[in-house]
Amino acid sequence: MKQPVILVLGIAFASLAATQGLGAATATGNVTVSATVAATAKLTLSSATVTFANADPDSSPSIAATEGAITITTKGKTSTNGTIALTLLAANDLKSGTDTIAISNVTWTATGAGFAAGTMNKTTAQTVGSWTNSNSRTRTQSFALANSWAYATGSYTATATYTLTAP
Amino acid sequence: MPSMSLLSMAGCKVLVLAAVTSVLSLILVPAADAQTVTMTISPSTITFASADPDTTPSVAAPSITVTYRVQNNVSGSWRISLLAGGDLTAGSATIGINNVTWTASPTPTFQAGTLSRTLAQTLASGTGNVPLGTTGTVVFRLANSWTYNVGSYSTSVVFTITAP
Repeated sequence: MKQPVILVLGIAFASLAATQGLGAATATGNVTVSATVAATAKLTLSSATVTFANADPDSSPSIAATEGAITITTKGKTSTNGTIALTLLAANDLKSGTDTIAISNVTWTATGAGFAAGTMNKTTAQTVGSWTNSNSRTRTQSFALANSWAYATGSYTATATYTLTAP
Repeated sequence: MPSMSLLSMAGCKVLVLAAVTSVLSLILVPAADAQTVTMTISPSTITFASADPDTTPSVAAPSITVTYRVQNNVSGSWRISLLAGGDLTAGSATIGINNVTWTASPTPTFQAGTLSRTLAQTLASGTGNVPLGTTGTVVFRLANSWTYNVGSYSTSVVFTITAP
């Protein structure tokens, strides 16, 4: 009569031992992951040339550029709350031999947040647009020349430089 | 001596039961050696270099070698998981850790994935023992973007191997 009791106790002991032997094993390792983001600026213009066609000052007091609006793509990385700025500086007045048309007769309008209208200047860089934080933006800029009967005939040229700054 | 008395009183059937109990004990001796796992990670620091997002949309870090071993786990499963300590941060600037993905080999033991700071992600898994010196290779990549602000970002990633 006592024999089955002895057997049950033996199995109970065996089960307890098995549970203790199958505990989960764990090991860990740490890796530090770093990323460096450096100040970067990229500027792309849809056209490197702006042309103003000859026109009657009476009927066309303002001559729009033949190329139409220029698409400007700016990409910049700056510090948190840092300002990225796009400026434009003319190298000189429009010149044709000894004849000149003051560069201040060239103005622009712009579309898109952060960009604004302005007037070209040969001494002080003019802000075309500015914004804070790193970003990629595509905007348009449309140039116009204030027409005048006072302009001597000729083919005038000038260069201007865009500068995108991401401090 | 009390056991000798018991045996003499109960006869041959008791002797058989005692033998069965002894066999069970012998079988369970190996189970007393719990699963053992070891793992080393090298290197312990990786860096994503600054790059132009247009030309390098995905920045790869130097590869990491995971050396691991699983013992006393004849039929059990094991798993290596990854859990990020947080997003990549540089002061107040952050880059979401989900921008960091990885590829790994050898497959299918190792698998690709995306880091998370809330849920451990499986890097590798299998069953049974894994011999000494077994390795896997992991390459982390950062999805590059013009929206990242300038800074030196960092976070930690915990590798955990568990059996079963």
